[in-house]
Amino acid sequence: MTLEIQQDKDTITGRLEGRLDTATSQQFAAEMSPLLNNADKHIVLDCSRLEFISSSGLRLFLSLRKATIAKGGDVTITGITDEIKQVFTITGFYSLFNFK
Amino acid sequence: MQKSLSLINDISQVTVLAEWVSLMGKELFLPMHTIFQLNLALEEAVVNVMNYAYPGKKGQYVTLTAKTVKNIDGSEHIIFVLKDNGIPFDPTQAPKPDTTLTAEKRNIGGLGIFLVQHLMESVTYERREENNILTMKYRLPQNTPML
Repeated sequence: MTLEIQQDKDTITGRLEGRLDTATSQQFAAEMSPLLNNADKHIVLDCSRLEFISSSGLRLFLSLRKATIAKGGDVTITGITDEIKQVFTITGFYSLFNFK
Repeated sequence: MQKSLSLINDISQVTVLAEWVSLMGKELFLPMHTIFQLNLALEEAVVNVMNYAYPGKKGQYVTLTAKTVKNIDGSEHIIFVLKDNGIPFDPTQAPKPDTTLTAEKRNIGGLGIFLVQHLMESVTYERREENNILTMKYRLPQNTPML
């Protein structure tokens, strides 16, 4: 699992690659702190190279969404695969984020 | 097909589980979509045991077996049996998360077993001879070659 972060003026983009499972989510939680620190901005999560997500990964997505609600930002998810989209749909997470 | 996997109760073992599921998928010529669903459901079930069965104890075992069965009507299933000898815990009785809530009101947690129950056709729990036994039945898509 890797997270590459790129910051522009009003937008901060996180590019996720690999598996976001229970074993890797701790590392991801630590690496996503720049995203949480910019929860007042537009956050884009590029998931086009994200291969897998489990509930531990969903929890981190939700904590980021909660932070943006508190600070006035938003989260847009891009490039999601059909399999991961199904996970978001089953859990009701699909309605909690913007998708492009 | 019949196979088994033994894991210790350490979250890093999830990687071993993923490799086991991937290999089984190749052996059974399962579509990517099915492998993804099995990966997800089994990880959630196994992590649940690792989190709750052995409070404060390391180096404890969790075993998972898989067996394919062909039914009279031609449909095919994989029966997974997850076993541990930790404290009694029936995950099928866990409260179901409300998936209609807004982000502000959603709790962080409670999704793992919900996903297992959604992805598997059936999930049953029994406590037998000091073991927790979770039996999960997954219906294979049609036209999957059976080995």
